[in-house]
Amino acid sequence: MKRNRRPDPTPPDESFEPYEEPRTIPIPVLSIAVALALWGGLTLYQNGQAVGVGQQERADDLAAQPALGTDSGAVLFEARCATCHQPNGVGVRNAVPPLMGSEFVAAAPQVMTQILLHGIDGPISVAGRQFNGHMPSFSSVLPDQEIAAIVNYARNRFGAPHSSQLAIDSDFVAEQRSKYPNRGSWFGGEEIAAVLDTTLPSQPPARSGSIESANPAVLKLINDGRGPAWACSSCHGSEGQGGETVPRLAGLPSGYIAKQLKDYVAGDRHNETMTLVASTLTEDEMTGLGNYYSRLRSPSNAAPSLGGDLERGEQLALEGDWSLDVPGCFSCHGPSGFGVAPGFPSLAAQHPAYTAAQLAAWAGGQRDNAPVALMNHIAIALDDDDRRAVADYLATLPPVPATGGPAGDDEDE
Amino acid sequence: MNRLLPLSIVALGILAFATLMLVVVPGMQIRSQSPSPGLLPYTQAELRGREQYVSLGCLYCHSQQPRASDQAPDDQRGWGRASVASDYVYDQPHQLGTMRTGPDLLNVGARLPSQAWHLTHLLQPRAIFDWSIMPAYPFLFEQKPAAEPGDVVVALPPGYAAQNGVFVASQQALDLVTYLQGLDRTYPALPDAVRDDGYAEPDDEGRKP
Repeated sequence: MKRNRRPDPTPPDESFEPYEEPRTIPIPVLSIAVALALWGGLTLYQNGQAVGVGQQERADDLAAQPALGTDSGAVLFEARCATCHQPNGVGVRNAVPPLMGSEFVAAAPQVMTQILLHGIDGPISVAGRQFNGHMPSFSSVLPDQEIAAIVNYARNRFGAPHSSQLAIDSDFVAEQRSKYPNRGSWFGGEEIAAVLDTTLPSQPPARSGSIESANPAVLKLINDGRGPAWACSSCHGSEGQGGETVPRLAGLPSGYIAKQLKDYVAGDRHNETMTLVASTLTEDEMTGLGNYYSRLRSPSNAAPSLGGDLERGEQLALEGDWSLDVPGCFSCHGPSGFGVAPGFPSLAAQHPAYTAAQLAAWAGGQRDNAPVALMNHIAIALDDDDRRAVADYLATLPPVPATGGPAGDDEDE
Repeated sequence: MNRLLPLSIVALGILAFATLMLVVVPGMQIRSQSPSPGLLPYTQAELRGREQYVSLGCLYCHSQQPRASDQAPDDQRGWGRASVASDYVYDQPHQLGTMRTGPDLLNVGARLPSQAWHLTHLLQPRAIFDWSIMPAYPFLFEQKPAAEPGDVVVALPPGYAAQNGVFVASQQALDLVTYLQGLDRTYPALPDAVRDDGYAEPDDEGRKP
């Protein structure tokens, strides 16, 4: 505080009220205020745009759910049938029956509908040639409308002129679906001819033998657990179907399952929960569990959930992307991702959260238990969007069809 | 202070504007939300378990709000899709949480569906994860010389098992696990669902709103 040494010559005006003249706001302050206001306005605008993008993303995710039934028969045929039966429907000699000229396609529509719903596991004679049928069941991955669309398309294209051109609708499929609710695959052409259409030409006999019942000790492990090991089914489901990051086990090659269990114990694959469980198992029990789950068939409960681009996923699965040095999934994991025993696990109907998490683990080095580092290279080459795309696509596939004979595990080990 | 009235009016006006933007408008947005299709109300057992969840303070370490992939890699962690307002219709009070000392739990029932696993993990998290920093909750369990009919015995690895007898889950532990098993919001979110989309941006392919 400064003090005036000299008193003021005039006494201050007691009624004076101090005031300030209005002054213009300095240019720098004004410009900062204007800039802040602009920034606020821009943020509001961008936020409005982002809400639209977010809603679009959710709409896309919703559209990625199967069960919409809007695709045409031709599109569905290309996506679902052509990988094995070939785009022109002639099949693969000695491996996949033709649709062109097939008596089953030309027969009454319930025959094809039932085959699509339940799949085939057994010998079948088509157009004079015998095949070992391994057809997956589409009942859990295709809604009634889409099955109707495929049946109508295939019968029109391959069944004419013998087939009645009567088109079927989703009600027909729903009725057929309720006819044999709990059965698995058809045991080859003989059973189909006997049950569905007696006018079909003579069929080879179905494989004899009943399905070997699983070892009771192994069943007890699966359903009740033992000591510190929780029951397998408490996480992986009563039908080995899994969920989210818990993988589907049904249909995985027996040798693959046993190897993973050994790797958990040896520390080559990392998951604390599975290490604890696997460390209580003997080698025989590991093999027994592998055999049980490799023969188990259950409907798919997986659906795209990561918002991935399904077309990109299909491209990666079928052809790969050689600009990234990534081969197609199916080139090792088998057509339609049904797995190649004993080393290559099936990918079809696997849960997208699990597939994407495993790809991330391969890329990050947390998973490294393959004899060659192929999966690491692939996972590193794929970016985040690609991983989600391929995981979502694989979830739309039908689950692994019955492989192996009724009593045997002939393709495993 | 010769312009008290204008000053107070301006101050109250700013307060009213802030209340409108931060309380009234969001309130109106949330109020109109109906439950997502696929979301079921909690059962009685789940509600009892939820009370345990609240009273044990799980919220202080576990969030219940998976983020969008624009914000955090929660989908790669397997925690599920980003949650929306309709997912919380039955949550009173909500347990969103902000701390992520432990994993997000909004979809824990989908990725960890095993009752037996949860009981082991609540009694002693170190029995499964030797690096876990989650507290153990032994007071939710009872040590008995032998299990009686109807008791749920906790599976424990050697070294953690009871010296003599067994650990049996209390009703509180069973309720809490029922609640955790029921936490599953993996159904798809509706396109018009409300959430913070501030980080969603058009991607390279020019996906526009």
